[in-house]
Amino acid sequence: MKQTEDTSSDTRTERSGASSGNQNAVDASVSGNRIRLDGVRKTFNEGSVVACDDVNIEIDEGEFVVLVGPSGCGKTTTLRCIAGLEEPDRGSITVDGEDITGLKSKDRNLAFVFQSIALFPHMSVRKNIRFGLDMNTDLSGEEKRGRVEDVAETLGLSDALDRKPSELSGGQQQRVSLGRAMVMEPAAFLLDEPFSALDANLRDHMRVEVKKIQRELHTAMIFVTHDQEEAMTLGDKIVVMNNGYVQQIGTPYEIYNEPANRFVAGFIGSPSPNLVECTVERTADGIALASDFYTIPATETQAEHLEPSVGETVIYGIRPEYLDLETDRGAFVADLDVVEPLGDRDAVHLSAGSTDLSAVTPQGQIARDTDRVHVDIQTEEAWLFEEDGTRIV
Amino acid sequence: MSTTGYDATGVTLKATAYGVVAFLVLANLVPFLFILSVSFMPPSEFFTDPHLVPYEPTLEAWTSGFEELRGNLVNSFLIGAGTALLALVITIPGAYAFARKEFYGKTAGFYAIISAMMFPYILLVIPIMDLWTALGVYNTIFGMILAYQVFVTPFSIWILRDFFENLPTDIEEAAQVYGCTQFTAFVRVILPLAAPGIVAVGFLAFLTGWNDFLFANLLTTGTGPVPAVPVLYGTIGGGSGERVYWGKLMAETLIIGTPPTIIYLVARNYLESAFSV
Repeated sequence: MKQTEDTSSDTRTERSGASSGNQNAVDASVSGNRIRLDGVRKTFNEGSVVACDDVNIEIDEGEFVVLVGPSGCGKTTTLRCIAGLEEPDRGSITVDGEDITGLKSKDRNLAFVFQSIALFPHMSVRKNIRFGLDMNTDLSGEEKRGRVEDVAETLGLSDALDRKPSELSGGQQQRVSLGRAMVMEPAAFLLDEPFSALDANLRDHMRVEVKKIQRELHTAMIFVTHDQEEAMTLGDKIVVMNNGYVQQIGTPYEIYNEPANRFVAGFIGSPSPNLVECTVERTADGIALASDFYTIPATETQAEHLEPSVGETVIYGIRPEYLDLETDRGAFVADLDVVEPLGDRDAVHLSAGSTDLSAVTPQGQIARDTDRVHVDIQTEEAWLFEEDGTRIV
Repeated sequence: MSTTGYDATGVTLKATAYGVVAFLVLANLVPFLFILSVSFMPPSEFFTDPHLVPYEPTLEAWTSGFEELRGNLVNSFLIGAGTALLALVITIPGAYAFARKEFYGKTAGFYAIISAMMFPYILLVIPIMDLWTALGVYNTIFGMILAYQVFVTPFSIWILRDFFENLPTDIEEAAQVYGCTQFTAFVRVILPLAAPGIVAVGFLAFLTGWNDFLFANLLTTGTGPVPAVPVLYGTIGGGSGERVYWGKLMAETLIIGTPPTIIYLVARNYLESAFSV
């Protein structure tokens, strides 16, 4: 608990630092910001579909940034704008202080790894990996061969170099596609859901591999995924997007512990947090939050923020792990619907009044045939959002 | 010995299937065998009772047929190859634009081009003869090549557009990320991947130029670059129904059919993957 607060206060200073950097592009580039997006907006169908808007992201050298959000949130469009595969309507993209917004893809020194892998089917693996070097550099044949072979060795593709992509497994194909990016020694790697076509085990394996490679190369990596778990495990910095707008930028811990709004709270974490509509009430003991199953007392900090909004509706958010389930006593009673084993933990799905709640308990703590449990809320861990989703505290 | 597994229905079905296949094969093979056989018969023989194996086989029909066709075969080849080449030059970029680019009137334009295929070609003969004479390309090989574009380009654009449309855009984008311009990406990646479609379209265009009779007959005169097919028509007696040298007719038919067959065999792998899509 203490630790959480520490992290979040850290966060705030970090973030205010970042926003002051925003106002001064030159400073930012000097201080090692490799890639900056400023107010990027992209629309389709003559402006009728806004894919992304007002996107501001800074990516430091060697940083692993994950863009995450539900499908259609604009994350891939943002990535394609960085790669030069889409031209933004507004805003600018700079790499090392140089504005690349209008440049062609090939002149950006960025490597893109496609969701569909997109190898050239008529070329051998060797030619696929070499393609960028052949097209875009003046290296000698010897140097090119050396680079291709180094990369192939790193990726375990040495034996596959003279085969056609169609003769390789899905995982190997995606490795070739990574290899094609790596030989370019780009300013940054852009990866668009690169592992979504792979099966679960291979995906985990490739994640670790990519993160390792990124650490070794110390090259910025921008990774797009719709999978919040993937985002949490990979990212140094996570950018949560929804409906074309950036919702929050932060470290995995910040995003998890201190979501900026209701969307981020609901999107990150599995099982999803409990988000309960409550009415702010003044009781004899102070401020409380009345839901349809229980009136939750507000903590002191919460009470301070809620003072002006007595009588209004707010959203009370609490992660499943902060609901304590007891068999004999607790703040309120709930019906137990399902116990879902998650390995070392169980997800317990409850209903109280007309509200569904989830809790996480250590494995086997609640027997599967239990009908009713008592629930305590660790109120100091809760978030409060206004009805429109803005975080109150 | 037992008769286990004897399945009357299965056997009947199989027998019927083979029967149908055999009939279809024979329906194609028998006339072909007669063409082959008659081409080796002296004139005295093919007016007697029909028989398959010539009594006195001779190469006379082949040598005289080839002698008669030699110059015309060259014309046919130039016309066929030229038609294919010009069609590809026009339709590869055209089909790519229809497949990948957005422009005003794209759908209407596409259907306008396709609808050109719906007219009977004979409607075009008079305007084309008139126009070609005015342009000075009447009775020339180039004039023929140009005339065939009227019906070769629509189906070529149609086939190639579908081909280009089915190629994943990511591959093209990958080429652009890794150093290609849109044009070099097209040349290095899209063209090789579309090779089966391009070969198929080229082959069909060649066949059109090689086999056509109507334009070949009407857009050339006896002194001009007459292709082989109108000569074959002359061998039948210009349709007059007078005495026909069947041996020479058959030999010439086979001679004219040979080059496209060879081209087909060479391009077979490409063609099969083009039409199995």
